Amino acid sequence: MPVSAHSQVTDLALHDHACLTFGEQEELLDLTAAFVRDGLASGSRVVVLSDAPQNGTATLGGRKLAAESAVEAGQIMLAASQDGLVGPSGFSAERAMEWMRGQLADSRRHGFAGIRVALDMSWALQPMTGIEELPTLEEEIAAAVSDAEMSVLCGYDRERFDPVTLALIAPMHSHAVTTATYHDDPVLRICRQYVPPGVRLAGELDFLAREALALALGEAIRIDGDITINMAHLTFIDAASMRMILEAAASLGPSRTVVLHCRPSVEARFAQLGADLLPHVSLVGVDDN
Amino acid sequence: MTTNDPAADAAGPADGAVIADAEVGWPSGVPPILNQAFDAGTLYALRASVQAHASALGMPDARTDDLVIALHELAANAVRHGAGGGRVRVWKHAGELHCQVEDDGAPARGEALAPDGGAVLDSAGNAADSWPFSLGHGLWLVRLVADEISVFSGPDGTCATVVFALPGADDAPSARAC
Repeated sequence: MPVSAHSQVTDLALHDHACLTFGEQEELLDLTAAFVRDGLASGSRVVVLSDAPQNGTATLGGRKLAAESAVEAGQIMLAASQDGLVGPSGFSAERAMEWMRGQLADSRRHGFAGIRVALDMSWALQPMTGIEELPTLEEEIAAAVSDAEMSVLCGYDRERFDPVTLALIAPMHSHAVTTATYHDDPVLRICRQYVPPGVRLAGELDFLAREALALALGEAIRIDGDITINMAHLTFIDAASMRMILEAAASLGPSRTVVLHCRPSVEARFAQLGADLLPHVSLVGVDDN
Repeated sequence: MTTNDPAADAAGPADGAVIADAEVGWPSGVPPILNQAFDAGTLYALRASVQAHASALGMPDARTDDLVIALHELAANAVRHGAGGGRVRVWKHAGELHCQVEDDGAPARGEALAPDGGAVLDSAGNAADSWPFSLGHGLWLVRLVADEISVFSGPDGTCATVVFALPGADDAPSARAC
């Protein structure tokens, strides 16, 4: 299958093999959470492989996914990469595919409609024997998903993987997935947040980015439901930007809520502007770190 | 950097600025501890400088944030509704920071600030905004956080001064920069 220019993670379906490239861990977690959420909603089994599976339920739970109950019900499995793709004696594409086929068989046995597998590929940054077989694994996954009720999301850190590897690996996927980004420079990043839906703002935000902010808020508004503005990593916001966010919130009907996640300094500033007086806006403080 | 002794920072102001300071600045002849030009592209650098100076003077984090947003809003006002740029000067005097934000000349469109410091609302100009958007909250916020504010608007542009007490200061008599 040809690589489509850029897909949204929410567009992925069974038989897709997606290459997710991310710049920050937060993006990987957010896009993985969206992939998990949509999988649970469609009745698929979801397998998430990462370096820190023990944090998985908390991470997903923090994004309002009922991860714990899904884990108990066997619909979600969180596993460490070294227990799945990588064996004790290093990596081999054949062994990894055997594990994948085992997951597919399990999913069928339990009567799930399909299986979604999210792979955090950070393990492939470690020196280990057999790592040269990584392209083989990706080719075999591509072949496997095309005739099985399976979808695989491979997460590659674009800052840490070398460009040559990424250029080789990316075309082996049917989809290229990135976070929708409205503004990105060393001072400010504005991007979509998928789970819970909304906008993520990081860095310092002022009126100079008003067009990007308006676009991001506009898209968040067009999606149904409640909106979260994640400002956990926003260190400065000016009055014009706060005003724009509150105007956007006020333009929503009272049945939709807007949650503003912010550090104490930003939270205090929103309170000064009266944000806490708006009935459907809630301010939620997050730690500075 | 943190002294108001004229001899200690004699090289501070740019060429010609001392004469200008003697005319419009305060206190006359005393070099500011911060003297920084700004335009739309350097507001970020201005905020970083203001924050660094305030922290070095022992201002608590919350008040430093207040100072940063006050000067940002005044500078942003000059960028958006004044001449497009200007200069910030900060003096330390009698336990207070006196911060002057001056734009580069006559406002390009409309008045930047009413003489009483009241907001002049220029609601025009954000084609990208899909909801009503009015200005003026920035200046309202400045008045909320600053210990004192004074604004002078004349044919040569607008000059706003805000005063922030430094920690441990007595109730020192304040003076105005404009």
